[in-house]
Amino acid sequence: MSSTGTGIQPPPQVIEAARSPVMASAFAARTKVLPILELALLIAASIAPLVLRDYITVYATRVLILCLFALSFDLVWGYAGILSLGQSLFFGMAGYAVALLSRDFGVESIFAVLPAGSLIGLVAALLLAGSLLLGRHPSSVVFVSLGTMTGAYAADRLARGSHYLGGQNGIPSIPPMTIGSHEMSEGPGFYYLVLAILVLIYLMSRFLLRSQFGLALAGLRENEQRIAFFGYKVQHLKAIIFAISGAIAGTAGSLYAFHEGFVWTNMLGVVMSTQVVLYVLFGGSGTLIGAVIGTAIVEGLSFWLSDNYRDIWPIILGVLLLLVIMFRPLGLISLVLGERERVGHFGPGVKEKRNAAP
Amino acid sequence: MDTLLIATFEILSFGAIVVLVVLGLGIIASMMGIFNFAQGEFVLLGAYVTYLVHSVGLPVPLGMLAAPVAVGTLGFVLEKLVVRRFYAAPIVAMLGTYALGLIIREAVRGLTGGLYLSVPEPISGSITIGSLHFATWRGVIVIITLLVMAASHALLAYTSFGLRVRASLENPQLARASGISTGMIYSITFAFGAALAGLAGALIVPVFSLFADLGIRFLIQGFVAVMVGGVGSFAGPVAGASVIGTFSAWLPWLMSPVIADVLVFVLAIIFIKLRPQGLVSGRGVNR
Repeated sequence: MSSTGTGIQPPPQVIEAARSPVMASAFAARTKVLPILELALLIAASIAPLVLRDYITVYATRVLILCLFALSFDLVWGYAGILSLGQSLFFGMAGYAVALLSRDFGVESIFAVLPAGSLIGLVAALLLAGSLLLGRHPSSVVFVSLGTMTGAYAADRLARGSHYLGGQNGIPSIPPMTIGSHEMSEGPGFYYLVLAILVLIYLMSRFLLRSQFGLALAGLRENEQRIAFFGYKVQHLKAIIFAISGAIAGTAGSLYAFHEGFVWTNMLGVVMSTQVVLYVLFGGSGTLIGAVIGTAIVEGLSFWLSDNYRDIWPIILGVLLLLVIMFRPLGLISLVLGERERVGHFGPGVKEKRNAAP
Repeated sequence: MDTLLIATFEILSFGAIVVLVVLGLGIIASMMGIFNFAQGEFVLLGAYVTYLVHSVGLPVPLGMLAAPVAVGTLGFVLEKLVVRRFYAAPIVAMLGTYALGLIIREAVRGLTGGLYLSVPEPISGSITIGSLHFATWRGVIVIITLLVMAASHALLAYTSFGLRVRASLENPQLARASGISTGMIYSITFAFGAALAGLAGALIVPVFSLFADLGIRFLIQGFVAVMVGGVGSFAGPVAGASVIGTFSAWLPWLMSPVIADVLVFVLAIIFIKLRPQGLVSGRGVNR
């Protein structure tokens, strides 16, 4: 079993091309789809609560939180080639942690619970990365996916069996999150809060992935061995991005817990992990916007269809996913996004212009 | 002494179940290099076919015969239609088979209405030795497992079909050049692995009862067992399955079942981390 490559591989020369000055200037001259897409989605998301009915806004808030969760999976799978089938572990653990904070200590302030959730996600991801990714032998993709999946399964089992964590029923009736004395309940207010957090984290991820660090990650995804020969500590890079993604998943998990008002074991387990893999593969891994689009489409369709076709909807979803994997391995985004733009360019933009001048 | 005997029997029969489930997974992973994430759902499907035959009023053993045939046929078709496309990219294969598994699982969930359905044991009752009682059906599972294992090994090690399978594994180009239709061999091997999973599902459904998430548990257990044993050989997955099966059945005698369940997996993951090649590091089928 090869430990390198994701199977979704653009030809290596694409990366080279994007970096060479001549191509970079040609690239800059082309119309870019990505920023237009991002801007359009942002505008659509900003005005959505004004035109949607209230109960749909509540649903849309949940979708945005799931978008955040999907981003965290996209960072590890789409950018670093780590197949984490246990991403829900961080999501669920953070959710449970903030639920406990609120139940046992009465802490609901947003300035306490969101950092706590991210920190839990970060620490959990670091611990898992320490046992799965680091070490003398580089880990194969199969091993990492199996290990993370086992982590999620184990957490699910333990939570189900634990009386303290509410067993099968989870922890119900979490009070609303507070900002100062203001209570955040479901509705447009919560929606805009989540949107702001999502945009912030999106931009931070975008900046991170377009830096030199992002370039090293992209190299890692395409050819792990070569990056190792260049002298990078491949496993450290992986652990760092894994921890960052854990923190993002933790943020999403704590938001989700307060938005839904309860946490239960499915948040931790294989069900949720499957969900997030589905979102990202559907939209297109390896582009941040793909994860967001995938989540929006899958959740939107399921909102629309599950009323009338409740029984066969999961089957349709599975068939769609299979078709996408078979015929559009880069996801739906690849319908509008070219290969070159997907890979993009890295490092500060100024240098690029100077090189392109002659 | 009595408790010890009972415990030994429990461990043996549970170990046999795990071996049975893992055998098909191991053959597909070792012979084809594909980690089939739909394997758990093939087990589920085998269980469902048995239930279906039982529910229309036909005898259960007939269902148990029908299950491997039905699941094997489905495996053959799926290999031709879907899995075939993934040989060049094993990671995409994992995702693709994952999607396949999702479809099967949700289909069965729809068909069973999300209920737990039970199928009676075809041979009920128990064998009494002295003051001890052993469930007959579990004994039958142990015997069938041993037979299936021996037959699979013989098939791969001693028949001309097995020779072709091994040739296609070792060197596909040379095998093709020698006139072996590797495509057909892969289809049949995949179907064979699927049929074994179907048989496993059929045999265990009286013990575990039928529910849609039956497969997930066995999937993780199966993969852990394959990795512990070592991918690439026939003996590896079987050895891994025996170890995992033994621990899974033995630890609940010492601690709470939930902790035991989790502990087995954690120990296994640590073991794989420290020894990635597994218990058996060789390749191929030993004669």
